[in-house]
Amino acid sequence: MLWLALYFPQLPLEVFARGRQQAGALAIVESLGGREQISRCNAAAQAYGVRPGLALPAALALCAGLVVQRRDRVREQGALDELALWAYQFSARISFEPSLLLLEVGASLRLFGGLPALLTPVQRELGQLGYSVRYALAPTPMAAALLARERSACQVVTPDALREAVAALPLASLTRDADTRGLIRHIGLASIGDVLTLPRPELARRVGPQLSRLMDRLLGLAVDPRPEWQPPQYFAQTIELLGEIGQTTALVFPARRLMVALCGFLRGRGGGAQRLQWTLRHRDHPDTRFGQGLLDPSRDPDHMLEVFRERIDRLQLPAAVVAIGLRVDDWLAFEERSLALFGNPPGPDQALLERLSNRLGGQCVRGLRCLADHRPELAWQLCEPSEFGDAPAASMQQGASQPPWLLPQPRPLAERQGAPEYGGALRLESLPERIEAGWWDGFDIARDYFVAHSSAGERLWVFRDRRSGGWYLHGLFM
Amino acid sequence: MQVVDLDELKRNGVLWQGRRSALAADRLLASGWPVLDEVLGGGWPRAALVELLSEAHQGLPLLLPLLARLGGELRWLVWVAPPYVPYAPALAARGIRVERLLLVRDVSPGQCLWAAEQALKSGACGAVLAWPGELQTAQLRRLQLAAEQGDCPGILFRSPRSAQQGSPAALRLRVRPAPLGLEVEVLKRRGAWGGASCVVPLT
Repeated sequence: MLWLALYFPQLPLEVFARGRQQAGALAIVESLGGREQISRCNAAAQAYGVRPGLALPAALALCAGLVVQRRDRVREQGALDELALWAYQFSARISFEPSLLLLEVGASLRLFGGLPALLTPVQRELGQLGYSVRYALAPTPMAAALLARERSACQVVTPDALREAVAALPLASLTRDADTRGLIRHIGLASIGDVLTLPRPELARRVGPQLSRLMDRLLGLAVDPRPEWQPPQYFAQTIELLGEIGQTTALVFPARRLMVALCGFLRGRGGGAQRLQWTLRHRDHPDTRFGQGLLDPSRDPDHMLEVFRERIDRLQLPAAVVAIGLRVDDWLAFEERSLALFGNPPGPDQALLERLSNRLGGQCVRGLRCLADHRPELAWQLCEPSEFGDAPAASMQQGASQPPWLLPQPRPLAERQGAPEYGGALRLESLPERIEAGWWDGFDIARDYFVAHSSAGERLWVFRDRRSGGWYLHGLFM
Repeated sequence: MQVVDLDELKRNGVLWQGRRSALAADRLLASGWPVLDEVLGGGWPRAALVELLSEAHQGLPLLLPLLARLGGELRWLVWVAPPYVPYAPALAARGIRVERLLLVRDVSPGQCLWAAEQALKSGACGAVLAWPGELQTAQLRRLQLAAEQGDCPGILFRSPRSAQQGSPAALRLRVRPAPLGLEVEVLKRRGAWGGASCVVPLT
């Protein structure tokens, strides 16, 4: 077994800052001994001289615009949960420690074709998600976690190399338990290496059962069972925006972070999403909700983002946005065959269709099809634009003598002595086409259609209603 | 110093020589109407803007043979803001694959232009037909560039009043109903003189 530990040293800060491309000075405060003091701060705050350990009033004196957030461990655990959702694409066995994610990757290494092929996307996508990471690889979860915190980028595979890698680390780093730490202070051993040199019976006598149990787990001599994270069935995440966003374009940045997380989730399940549901939260206004449709299931964040841009272009924000959420309920599982399509952008025909439909709305971008009905009103239908297949063109001989343009509604024509007029008398070509149908469904017609010539030279399609005797214009040949 | 290949300019119809047959055959699309091809010098320009000026959106029948042929390709035939309903059975009877049609309808003039430009430059369309209403010269230039970029003919149906306005379109035709069909007069053709006319018979 091989464990990859991902440690997020800036998690307390990043859970607040990741919604913004450029966050201002931000600091996290914690109460220590009844005193509010800075525990983390970002680079913008450091530029003002703010640093961890500073009392809050002193920090505010240095930087008046400092945004201060109280450390929020619930939110940090929430962020780890969301990270697990993303990380599920790399491993099916995931567990947590504070600010740290553990993935069993021994099985997936072969799938990914080696460690670099696994680590490269992990690091790239964590950057895109808005988290800085330190990682380590080791045969036991405890060693991996320890090394990620203390010796970043350490990669250990064999037990011997593991003993060597952990030897120099302080013994106290083994545990956060106060009693065990007190014990460690009293036994006169400083590093893990000091313990490793002791013979085992002596170790048990000197350090007691707790510490030797920890050492066994560290080295893989005892099992280290950990509760495994269970993936949820749907994707739902929210990013708080640290302040307010008034322009839709500023939503693109946090939206992309959500899409990268979503696509990790989808890859973990071999699926794609077709319908993204967005929620924008406002401070004093009901949420704005809107959907984003994709013509084909996708798990490519760049493609999703392009469509998202078009979608928000026609969005009116009723108020400033304080948080953005993405939810996908119905991701679709796919056959191996269609997996080859993923990762590739859709063809230009799909891309155009998506761009148009998302910007203009689906009801404005339509396809057309013939229906087998003799009544002109019912012989065609607007439909979803079809995918390019090889369906043979329907043979529609009935339309050969009919015009390419139809009026949405037949338009009554003026008459003079029973003859139709359209800017002057109409000349009718001799043989009418009789269309009589529909007694069975209530839209019953009995019409004689003529090709007619106006005095201006236009060719028109007119009919005489055989019941009322009235004349109507119904189509144009030009 | 920039070196310019004269033949290349001629082939693309950028260089105007004052005599016939300026555009190379591969830059033209046969219209399917022999009399029309005669006055157009071979057919519709392939990656350029065409303006059809008429009183009542006339001229669609001129394009139907081309649309029927282009329907054989896996590309969209886009109609932006058509003034009436394209009547599917009649189009199908003229050999047009109606499933290739993409109709953009119920849009504002601004959206109409945007959609036409997107469609033209997408590279995914066999032809783009648009009924845009009033247009500025700068907007025409954008559409012309988009047509070149997407290698796609863009056909604009406009009012005869716009004949007064300068245009970067490669071809400008005045279309009028005639007793036997549609009369077509060439107002402007890139690489040739205007003034030629013909009557395309519609049966």
